Amino acid sequence: MKPVEPEIETEHAGEFVAELRRVADALPERINVDAKSVEQGLAKLVLTLIELIRRLLEKQAIRRMEGEGLTPEQVEELGLALMKLEAKMRELKGQFGLEDEDLNLDLGPIGRLI
Amino acid sequence: MSRWYVYCLGDEVTAEMVEGARGLDGAPLSLVGRGDISAVVSAFAEERVPVTPENALTHNRVNAALLARSTPLPFRFGTLVAEARLLDFIESHEAALREALARVRGAVEMSVKIIWDLEAVKREAVGPEPEASKAEGEEAAEGATATSEATSEAGGSGTAFLLAKRREILSGEALREKAEALAGWFGGRLSDLAREARVVVNPKGALVVRAAHLVGRGQVEEFRARVHQLGEERAGSLRFLTSGPWPPYSFGDVRP
Repeated sequence: MKPVEPEIETEHAGEFVAELRRVADALPERINVDAKSVEQGLAKLVLTLIELIRRLLEKQAIRRMEGEGLTPEQVEELGLALMKLEAKMRELKGQFGLEDEDLNLDLGPIGRLI
Repeated sequence: MSRWYVYCLGDEVTAEMVEGARGLDGAPLSLVGRGDISAVVSAFAEERVPVTPENALTHNRVNAALLARSTPLPFRFGTLVAEARLLDFIESHEAALREALARVRGAVEMSVKIIWDLEAVKREAVGPEPEASKAEGEEAAEGATATSEATSEAGGSGTAFLLAKRREILSGEALREKAEALAGWFGGRLSDLAREARVVVNPKGALVVRAAHLVGRGQVEEFRARVHQLGEERAGSLRFLTSGPWPPYSFGDVRP
C-alpha cells in the first residue's frame, strides 16, 4: 500500500520546531503510579485548588480597589496579605517541584486558570 | 493476556488492503471486526508502547496507507486492547462509529499552526510595561521596595503589588481577546473549505493557534492555496505552517 504523503509548508521551520518542541516537552510520556508520585499528585491537586482561590481573591481585591470603596490603608493591607500568600505558594510549589503550568486548570468557556 | 495494537477502524477497509503490510515491530497487520466495521491491528507483546519517533511514524504510516484507499477513523497512538474488548466496543458503539465514519468520509485532516509576535501583541494591547511596575510585579512578593508613582501615593508595596496584578490581568484579558479575534478571522476565511474545524487558542504562547480542519479530498490544494494567501496578507505579523493531508486524527476520538 502506498501511503498518502503529507506535505509541510512554512517559511519559518526553525521557529515552529522550537515551539512544538516546547509543547511536546511539557507532556509527560506516561504517569507513574508509585508512592512518591501519588504524594506529588495530591500536592498538585491541593495546590491547584489553592491557586484557583488565590487568583479569585486577587481579582476580587482589584475590583474592590477599583470600586474606590477602600481606604488607601485597606488597599495596602489587602495587597500585603495577597503578596504573602503568593510568596507562600511559590515556596510550596518549590518544595514539591511544581511549576506554574503544573497547576493549570481548563475552566472551559472562561479559559485556563494560568 | 495478549492484546492488539490498534491503528484505525473503518467500514471500507478490506483484508486485501492490509495484506502483506506490517505495523509496529514489523508485526503483520490484520483485521478484527463486526459486520462491515473492522479495526486494523497488529500483535504487540509488551505492556506499553514506547513513545519513539519510529513507533509514531509507523502508526501514521499504517493509517496513511489506509487513507490512500479509504477514510479510516484513526485510534490514538499507543492503544492496546484485548480482542474481546475491541469487538465489544465496536458492537456497543456501532451507531456512533457509523456516524463518525460518515462525517469524515472522503475527507482528510489539514493542520494549520500560527505563530504571532507575542511581545509585540502585548505591547500593542497594554502599552510598554513601566520598569517600576515590572519590578514590583515580579519582586514585591519577595519583599522588594516599591518605587512606582502609585506606590508613593498610597505608600506601600502592598498597593504596588495590587496595581501590578491589575496590569497583569488586563494584559491577559487583552491577549485573549486578540487571540480569539485572530482565530475568528482565520476560521471565517477557511469556513467554506472545511467541513469542520478543531481550534486550540493559546493567547499566552507564541504558538497562538493550532487548528485541524476536515477538508474534502478534492479541496486540499485550494485549502493550501488559501492558507498561503492568508500568510501573505499577514506576512508582517503572523507565521503559518500548513501540513497534511493526514488521516482525520482530530475528528475520530475513538477509544475502546
